[in-house]
Amino acid sequence: MNRAVIRSEAIAKVVPTVEGELTILDGIDLEINAGETLAIVGASGSGKTTLLGILAGLDLPTGGKVFLSDNELTMMDEEQRAKVRGEHVGFVFQTFQLLGSLTALENVMLPRELRGDANAKQEAMDLLTKVGLGERTTHYPRQLSGGEQQRVAIARAFACQPTVLFADEPTGNLDTATGQKIIDLIFELNEEFATTLVLVTHDERLASRCQRTVVLDTGRIVS
Amino acid sequence: MNLRLVMRMAWRDWRSGELGLLLIALILAIGTVTSVSLFVDRLHQALISESANFLAADRYIGSSREIPEEFRVAASARGITFTDTMLFPSMVFASDEVNQLVSVKAVAPGYPLRGVLKISDEPFTPGEVTLELPELGEIWLDSRLFPSLGISLGDTVEVGFAELEVAKVLTREPDRGGSLFDLGPRLLMRIEDVPATEVVQPGSRISYRLLLKGDDSALAELKDELPLKPNFRWVSIRESSPAIGSALDRAESFLLLGGLLGVLLAGVAVALSAHRYARRHYDHVGILKTLGASANQILGGYVVLLTAVGAVSVVLGLAGGGAIHMIIVALLGSLIPIDLPMPSARPFLLGSATGLICALAFALPPLLHLKNISPMRVLHRDLGSAPASQYLSYGAAAAGSLFLLIWYSGSLWLTAWMLICTGVALGVFGMLATLLLRSGRVVGMQAGSGWRLALAGLQRRHRENVGQILIFGLAFMLLLILLLLRTSLIDEWRSQLPENAPNHFVLNVTPEQVDDLSAMLAEHSEQQGGIYPMVRGRVIEANGVDAKTWEDEHRSMEGPGPRLRSERNLTWAAKLPDDNTVVKGTWWDENETRALASLEDDYAEALGLEIGDTLRFDVAGQIVDVEITNFRHLEWESMRPNFFIIFSPGALDQIPATYMTSFFLAPEKKRFLNTLLSEFPTITVIEVDALINQVQSIIERVTQAVELVLSLVVASGCLVLIASIQASRDTRMAEHALIRTLGGSRRLIAGSLAGEFAALGFFAGIVAVVGSEFTVAMLQTQIFDLPMRIHPWLWLVAPLAGSLLILVVGLFGTRSLVSAPPMLVLRGLN
Repeated sequence: MNRAVIRSEAIAKVVPTVEGELTILDGIDLEINAGETLAIVGASGSGKTTLLGILAGLDLPTGGKVFLSDNELTMMDEEQRAKVRGEHVGFVFQTFQLLGSLTALENVMLPRELRGDANAKQEAMDLLTKVGLGERTTHYPRQLSGGEQQRVAIARAFACQPTVLFADEPTGNLDTATGQKIIDLIFELNEEFATTLVLVTHDERLASRCQRTVVLDTGRIVS
Repeated sequence: MNLRLVMRMAWRDWRSGELGLLLIALILAIGTVTSVSLFVDRLHQALISESANFLAADRYIGSSREIPEEFRVAASARGITFTDTMLFPSMVFASDEVNQLVSVKAVAPGYPLRGVLKISDEPFTPGEVTLELPELGEIWLDSRLFPSLGISLGDTVEVGFAELEVAKVLTREPDRGGSLFDLGPRLLMRIEDVPATEVVQPGSRISYRLLLKGDDSALAELKDELPLKPNFRWVSIRESSPAIGSALDRAESFLLLGGLLGVLLAGVAVALSAHRYARRHYDHVGILKTLGASANQILGGYVVLLTAVGAVSVVLGLAGGGAIHMIIVALLGSLIPIDLPMPSARPFLLGSATGLICALAFALPPLLHLKNISPMRVLHRDLGSAPASQYLSYGAAAAGSLFLLIWYSGSLWLTAWMLICTGVALGVFGMLATLLLRSGRVVGMQAGSGWRLALAGLQRRHRENVGQILIFGLAFMLLLILLLLRTSLIDEWRSQLPENAPNHFVLNVTPEQVDDLSAMLAEHSEQQGGIYPMVRGRVIEANGVDAKTWEDEHRSMEGPGPRLRSERNLTWAAKLPDDNTVVKGTWWDENETRALASLEDDYAEALGLEIGDTLRFDVAGQIVDVEITNFRHLEWESMRPNFFIIFSPGALDQIPATYMTSFFLAPEKKRFLNTLLSEFPTITVIEVDALINQVQSIIERVTQAVELVLSLVVASGCLVLIASIQASRDTRMAEHALIRTLGGSRRLIAGSLAGEFAALGFFAGIVAVVGSEFTVAMLQTQIFDLPMRIHPWLWLVAPLAGSLLILVVGLFGTRSLVSAPPMLVLRGLN
């Protein structure tokens, strides 16, 4: 399994500001193979999250090319990128990003429902049981602790059995012990579903569990 | 997104209260518009039919010639109900010695088409409503004819050659006209009995009327179809009673204005709720997009959602509106002494369309914007949260409002004027509101912490608060204008009518009766106008020019207004009558022997006459030449005998005259009329007070209706306030959480909220006072010709009342914010 599932060629991101143009990313070349686990680290403002968003097809670079599972994201419009995301990408966020109006079960069902999958409910139940929340399916996010909310988010991320899981500071809002459990869970499921994992983090312990680490500094890969 | 998923999400949104505010705002919008327009529609119909009572029909065709049969055929073909009446003066003989000139109204079955007749078995009593007419061979008489003819029920009298039996006392008829021609005491008889009287001869002065009742459209078509000119007059309430017509027009405009305001306020409430809903869904959409939802799926989903919400709110809004209107009708049944007809379909259509348009114009733009939310928002919260396009939001809202305004008012012209006036008012009041808010901030800097928080809060939500001040200011202003105008007009009316102003006119007094009558009136009445001789005459030449030619060349106005050739009441006097002032020329000497004339100033101006001009009159067949020596100004409202033309003594010496006077009679002394008419059977007494009461009661009702509608507008304003509070709820929660975290007490927060709302209401009150004082001053000086008056009490009362109202509504809207435990508040932010 060494075929590149994500490939970027000379990605640049420049945004206009009142003080002139600001370069966030500058000539990023990156290849991530299927099944690989990659940590993107760097100081605040180094461009980690922007890179993650571009690799996941949430945003477009101002220069360069991005390929995800043989789809050239940089040639696609938002509509087509949404389709690619729905089929290939799962997300885990620092702030969990659960829909507050939906129960835990409904949150996990959502990606499959968007695809029109009739078995969404059973699959979601199984996943919640797998993350240890089989008894809390009818709870709303506000009735769950931070760790529990992140578990729901992880279950949701794996609901569509994505090719790539993108995680943005998944432990950033959690205490050390809970964060450790969440990291274990992510790696456990990642292995089970043979998913490629790309995560952005400050946490060196977390980065060290990945097969490869990329360090960003002011928009460039420095190591 | 598939429909099932959308519906499930809608249900979840509803369950979690996310959708509730938008749904409630739409329901309230539709409900308010429906209830207001249902009530207005029914009241409007009722007012029209009430005013139609003045004609006893919706329209009539009047003429001195017989109404041709083809008119009836044409009316019948259009499904218009009709009936004939004839009006003519005639002598009635109770015996050889006792007779009286009466105004006969001969009616056919079906009369009256609108309104009711009231009859009694005893003169000078109120009487009961009847749906019948006199039987053939019978007549009904005015109360005052019983003493003057010395008769009682069951007696017979002679009208021309016919002997008719007096069956009832006629106490009220709907179309009791105001023209001098029709001022004699009434005799109501059947039109079938007229030929037997043989009073209708060639040259007789008869007024024929064909009363009509039917749809407005059918009546309009009939009017266009019939060859009316030049001999037949088409009369509607507006031509018949211009005062009542214009009161109705103003009432309609006011009701319309109230309705329009209701619609716009509803739109604002919907827009605020939709923006809040959309804002709270930015994250939601961002997440959906990261999960693979496309922009089109998002758009489709929200359009379906809005359609579903719209449909539910139309059903609930119409039902709610109907119910609210029923409550209003039940509550105000006693205040509105008119039977309300069934509503038309229009209010329901209007309510549904309002729902649809509010949804499209006010709620859709922010929801449309949701599809543009960037999925990057899940990573960078500040991304993709730019507010919905201002052009789209305001453009759609403006287009929607414009469409509703035009549709609702049915008039481009009125809409354009409304927009211009609203634009100017918003501009001026907006500046005033901004200034007030700024000054509040300055004051707040020196105030205690509660007040400082309150005034800082006002300043921070500056735009919303300027909007609130405008909304409430405008609604209060309209209420104040109405209140001030009504008070001022009634006061003015009262001040113009001196205490015990004459309320009865006496005509047809013979020279022999003058002394005795004056003595009797002096004994029984507290106030008597002068007694004036009166002859009928018309101008036939002015400055040697034929009157018609003169009029064609010199008459300064088209349409109604005095005409030179009309037959007029003429009098003569040695002294200038009370309430008259000479404005040009000089009054004649008491011993003047030349034939001179004094003209009313407006009359002279309208006809292009000057001092020194000569007029030739035909008075009862005799030619009288006079020279104009002065113009007089009259107080027409003085209720004393007033004349356009007064001659110098001696000018009309050779011509037999009758006399007229006026006197005041307190309502409890009405029975004196019995004595008076028994003593002087041939005189004619006109009860002006009854006529004044009728007009006053109409104006009272119209004002009540308008006030009610404006109160509902204020209520809509309160809804907007609640929606606006909801819209700022998240920010307020964040602020409150912070203040509580920093050790602020619940009391401090409640105090700052109370201060904020009280200040908002106070500012709205100031805007209202400034606007209403200015408008009323303009109306008083420019339209009603009254002196300008400032109302100092208003400057105190209105801001305080505004404060109190908004304080109560505002605290009601934020009660859960204050009572929520700090932890829940903090959690609610996530």
